[in-house]
Amino acid sequence: MKIKIELFGAARDFSKEDFLELTLPEISSVKEVRENLADFIQSKYPDNANYLEIVKRSAFANEQNEIVHDDYQLSNHSKLCIIPPVGGG
Amino acid sequence: MFHGKVIDASKGAISIDAAQKFITSEKCGASLFFIGTVRNHNNNKNVTGITYDSHDAIVEKSFKEIYDEAIQKLKLEYPVVFIEHTKGYVPLGGISIIIAVAAKHRSQVYDLSRYIIEEIKKRTPIWKKEHYDDNESDWLKGNPVIDTEKK
Repeated sequence: MKIKIELFGAARDFSKEDFLELTLPEISSVKEVRENLADFIQSKYPDNANYLEIVKRSAFANEQNEIVHDDYQLSNHSKLCIIPPVGGG
Repeated sequence: MFHGKVIDASKGAISIDAAQKFITSEKCGASLFFIGTVRNHNNNKNVTGITYDSHDAIVEKSFKEIYDEAIQKLKLEYPVVFIEHTKGYVPLGGISIIIAVAAKHRSQVYDLSRYIIEEIKKRTPIWKKEHYDDNESDWLKGNPVIDTEKK
């Protein structure tokens, strides 16, 4: 299945677009998104440990603007937002 | 009473006057303004400005959650809170955030203002990209919203 991830903060540097599309197994959760995203980073930016750290330390939010955990199940065409470590003020 | 909003710097500016008008209340004997501005140095680098990124919907939801928690925890009477945060480019000296609060007593407004800014820094999805005098820029490391290490 395909899902879309809207990019924010430091994760905006992952792509020239403001989103990424990932292809995942039919039964997937946020855990698979994090793993798939890490694979994407290692393949596209093999020397950038900072990007991998961002993926590891990020949260994800669903379309209802709720933070969702690694066991949150996704369906085809789900949309998530990546929420890197925050620091406003 | 509560007001919480993200203001896009390309379309408007956050306003101390608007905050002052909002928090004025005859029931409150104390009011306090916290104003965050862009300073010219950080981590031994000369900062020329900051671009703020925001997930607006979650930010505004988070502001309201923090307000609701604060009035419960601090057991406040007649609290009034105005929070606005800038999104987009803010030059040196520009205002990034206003937290204006009013309550019955002075100790309450200090506690309330401090609680709000500390919680915003921990959990509200706003990010800073600093710009430096060597034309480089960098996203600042922040606080993870959830502890992903435990998962």
